[in-house]
Amino acid sequence: MKAAQFEHHEPTTVEEAVSLIESLDEPTILAGGQSLVPMMRFRLARPETVVDLNGIDELDYLQEADGYLKLGALARHADVEESSLIDRQYGSFADTAPLVADPQIRNRGTVVGSIAQSDPKGDWGTVLLAHEGEVVAHGPGGERTIPADEFFLLPYDNTLAEDELITEVRVPTSGDDEGSAYHKLKRKVGDYAMAGSAARVVLDGGRITDATVALTAVDITNVSVPDAADHLEGERPSGDLFKQAGELAAEHANPESDEHGSAEYKRNMVRVLTQRALADATERASNDGPAARYGTDQMAVGD
Amino acid sequence: MSSDTREKPDAKYRHDEDGGPDPEEHGGHGRGGMGEEVKRKEDRRFITGRGNYVDDVKKDGMLHCEVVRSPHAHAEVKNIKTERAEAMDGVVAVLTAEDLEAYDLATMPTLMDDTQEVLVKDKVKFQSQEVAAVIAEDRYLAKDGAEKVQVNYDSREPVVDAETAKREDAPVVREDIDQESNHIFTWETGDEAATREAFEAADVTVEEDMYYQRLHPAPIETCGCVADWDQDNEKMTVHMTSQAPHAHRTLFSMVSGIPEHKVRIVSPDVGGGFGNKVPIYPGYVIAAAASYVLEQPVKWVEERSENIQTTSFARDYDMTGRIAATEDGEITAVDVDVLANHGAYNAAAQPSKFPAGFFKIFTGSYDIDAAHGELEAYYTNTAPGGIAYRCSFRVTEAVYLIERMVKVLAQELDMDPAEVRRKNFIPEDAFPYESATGWTYDSGDYHRALDKALESTNYHDLREEQQRRIEKDDDKLLGIGLSTFTEIVGAGPGKQCDIAGVEMFDSAEIRLHPTGKATVRIGVQTQGQGHETTFAQIVAEELGLDVDDVQVEHGDTDTEPYGLGTYASRSTPVGGAATAVAARKVREKAKSIAANELEVAEEDVVWDRESGQFHVQGVPEQSLSIADIAGASYMNSPPDQEPGLEAVDYYDPPNMTFPFGAYVCVVEVDRETGEVDIRKFYALDDCGNRINPMVVEGQIHGGLAQGIGTAMMEHVSYDDNGNVTAGDFMNYLLPTAMEIPEMETDYTVTPSPHHPIGAKGVGESPTVGSPPAIVNAVVDAMEHAGVSHVDMPMTPDRVWGKLEEAGLAKDPAEDLELDIDGEEAAGD
Ligand SMILES: Cc1cc2nc3c(=O)[nH]c(=O)nc-3n(C[C@H](O)[C@H](O)[C@H](O)COP(=O)(O)OP(=O)(O)OC[C@H]3O[C@@H](n4cnc5c(N)ncnc54)[C@H](O)[C@@H]3O)c2cc1C
Repeated sequence: MKAAQFEHHEPTTVEEAVSLIESLDEPTILAGGQSLVPMMRFRLARPETVVDLNGIDELDYLQEADGYLKLGALARHADVEESSLIDRQYGSFADTAPLVADPQIRNRGTVVGSIAQSDPKGDWGTVLLAHEGEVVAHGPGGERTIPADEFFLLPYDNTLAEDELITEVRVPTSGDDEGSAYHKLKRKVGDYAMAGSAARVVLDGGRITDATVALTAVDITNVSVPDAADHLEGERPSGDLFKQAGELAAEHANPESDEHGSAEYKRNMVRVLTQRALADATERASNDGPAARYGTDQMAVGD
Repeated sequence: MSSDTREKPDAKYRHDEDGGPDPEEHGGHGRGGMGEEVKRKEDRRFITGRGNYVDDVKKDGMLHCEVVRSPHAHAEVKNIKTERAEAMDGVVAVLTAEDLEAYDLATMPTLMDDTQEVLVKDKVKFQSQEVAAVIAEDRYLAKDGAEKVQVNYDSREPVVDAETAKREDAPVVREDIDQESNHIFTWETGDEAATREAFEAADVTVEEDMYYQRLHPAPIETCGCVADWDQDNEKMTVHMTSQAPHAHRTLFSMVSGIPEHKVRIVSPDVGGGFGNKVPIYPGYVIAAAASYVLEQPVKWVEERSENIQTTSFARDYDMTGRIAATEDGEITAVDVDVLANHGAYNAAAQPSKFPAGFFKIFTGSYDIDAAHGELEAYYTNTAPGGIAYRCSFRVTEAVYLIERMVKVLAQELDMDPAEVRRKNFIPEDAFPYESATGWTYDSGDYHRALDKALESTNYHDLREEQQRRIEKDDDKLLGIGLSTFTEIVGAGPGKQCDIAGVEMFDSAEIRLHPTGKATVRIGVQTQGQGHETTFAQIVAEELGLDVDDVQVEHGDTDTEPYGLGTYASRSTPVGGAATAVAARKVREKAKSIAANELEVAEEDVVWDRESGQFHVQGVPEQSLSIADIAGASYMNSPPDQEPGLEAVDYYDPPNMTFPFGAYVCVVEVDRETGEVDIRKFYALDDCGNRINPMVVEGQIHGGLAQGIGTAMMEHVSYDDNGNVTAGDFMNYLLPTAMEIPEMETDYTVTPSPHHPIGAKGVGESPTVGSPPAIVNAVVDAMEHAGVSHVDMPMTPDRVWGKLEEAGLAKDPAEDLELDIDGEEAAGD
């Protein structure tokens, strides 16, 4: 675990960062370093220059504004875990934060860095898809936004341009009738998902008026499952309905076998996890049931 | 197995005239004697971050070594180009097999008398095998240099598992030693005919296949060394991560030709060994050769993946067990077949004379008349090793086999597994017990242990809860697993076990100073077991000293007496015995000095263990402590005694010790995901007299964590091309505190009758005993639906597969109850 030599730059404003990225030869952006530094130490990544965002204070925020929940590029996993904004209505955020890696990594790693990493096993991409969020990018040409469902391309690849950086990811603010949840299956604490499923539902008069389902670690990117969403919309929540949605999600999934589980198992777990996520999301949307009380499964422990 | 026929002169000290320590009755003497929970002396430096590990050793002019490793599992080395690396700034040298050949160091012997390349010249036999080495000014430059070494390979078809290696058309791994097949050895034990007869006559027979997967000891400190050749004194000093410094000194001298008195091995603080640091690895030899050639100190420290991918693994036994029994559950015979994967070299870290180590203890805690076992060992294109990992030379595999088979039998007979065990236990009055495979168990009381375990865990309530959950179609199934294992630890005896011919004794040297303090040097070596405390307690107990007045030193071959090292729970059974005997030798001399001081005849002087003093028979006021006598030995030595007070003992044990335990594991199995939650783990261990109950408990906690890792997570896996697919901690999963359930430890005490202080080993008991308890529990949860086995590691995938097959899998939505506002009447 010995990284190759590299040059380190530490801008203090977004503007400075953008111009550094433009002027340097193939620079690599460093946020929390929790994916990049291990890759460098394994020499899977060997950037000549690194532009470190950690000195840019203006990127350190997690706030509700302009109809969005916004996370700046320096919002750490731990910030989400601890934020008072993250409650019943952002249940999937509350579920996800404590399930990402371990506490040390959560103190450094950023949500935006996780999106930029575009690892299909990353959890935040799934949450972003489930909330139909967007990515805000800055480059020499200024700012642009990329919808979540247009962002991810391949494992570790996305539609961000070489000379762009992400300053923010955001999701529309959650209404009172909205609920979301994330369920992840892993073999031990701190691990990446074998499979994960996020669900979001909006209820009106006992019916689901809007729904999304998105998945982790079962395709080449985080993916949403439009079939399941279509199947749910307009329907009354029920065990049968969720079972069918779970089956649609399982059909949609395209997992691969690895050390931790076979493709068949993962597909079955997509069915199970989607049912669980839908059940929790519904409890939160209707503000009724244990999931609504605690916001997250993990927080329930020790309660 | 007993070598009682070899009565050594020090045998007379085995039984002390006062009956020896009885910590259960007396709990020490209040000054840190046996049975007292003395805080560990070594913890201050560890807790404050001041431990001194090999990687902390820094020397002037020290260079760094990076090994160039093969990406292929099986490939011919066509050529190696080193020029680009050599031309780099900061790169001092690049070594290949040819360079080592000049010093006759291109190969090295393994602990099983095989020969392994230090650097490969002709053919790579496992992935990440050592091919070249770069020596540079710092570790980053060494790594940069290693990237620039070009090796051309011609890759060959690899053979990754024993089953394939067995095939006639399988690629041959070891042409270098003129092997025509991959077969290494066949080993057989027991009485085949008697066993066959018992099977033919049996009411019931059961059979189960089980694979004890390849594990890695994965100590948190990887292997490494700093070799320092001192040209002026022609002396080689090697600081290394060694569990057996003296044996390594002898091997180093034999391999390098440097005279043994000119080799010094220092094993400083060691960050976990678990058997991984018993063998010698190429990196040590390379660093030493480089230091010799360059006349500068050279450091080599493995990266995590290098450690997991290349150093000694454990297990990899593919086993089939069979039991014959009467219809009321009395076991009449056990039969075992094993297919063993030894990797590319026969390099198992096992010093016994038996090719399969102590595996023939597979009759376990049970009185079984007929037993037979047969094993075939094969070479494959995987890292060499076997044995290592908190295991007395394959006892772990044996215990797993028999403890699983007893459960399989109970299931077949529809009997409670506790009942089947009770029925077959070796009775308490049968000890010393001769097993069908030729061991002499020293002592045991299995019924008492199991009874206590069942009572403490409310076994009957658990069984009721299990039934209730089944009846209620609960989402989570309850499983209760038992393991009533017998361990075998404490190698020697010297005639049965040796390293490079050196018999497996162990040693201690005790020296009392004029002011009454003691320095104790021991041949065994701590890697976290707490020797600095527990060995001081043995001396404190035997000499009546305060434990704070006893300093234990270990790990430096220049000063310590020769020892065979710490692994396989042998320190207390062998080194601890040597320490007690050396103390009794000191006490013997002290007695004559006491007589001189007290001006009475020696027969009139008696030793009182409780007060730690000699006194005149019938006149307790006329007493002297060992400290007083130590002073007298230097300042007023008797006319018929040499001055000074010290003794040394090299102890060749007459037999192993046989600790045992009764474990109860309670699990909940999630029918939706196959996840297993270990709700509780209860471990009752009987390791004879306990020197320090707190240290014993610590050993058990750690070992249970490792047993849980084994049962649930760990597996060094390979793909068909021989690539290690679990070569780092993202894929080779170790349990953390979060995966460890509530553990309850308990004990009974059945002293070893032949050990000077009645102690047995304990370090490996939990790693050996717990995996079958956990597997039995998981199987137990699904048994009502016909599940009879789950292989380790019991991943959620595997468990869910069994649930699905047995019709037990469930979807969360099945019992979903939603209460949604605005919901219209049912039927809408
Ligand atoms: C042991 C371990 C376990 C883990 N477990 C999980 C897990 O369970 N779930 C999970 O989701 N993740 C997991 N991670 C990954 C972790 O969440 C990382 O923190 C995250 O993926 C990357 O965030 P970072 O801020 O550390 O980014 P960095 O490591 O700094 O960067 C990652 C990549 O994103 C790029 N990048 C970063 N920020 C920006 C930006 N603002 N604009 C453009 N590009 C940018 C970098 O150039 C780099 O290519 C784990 C990591 C480790 C080491």
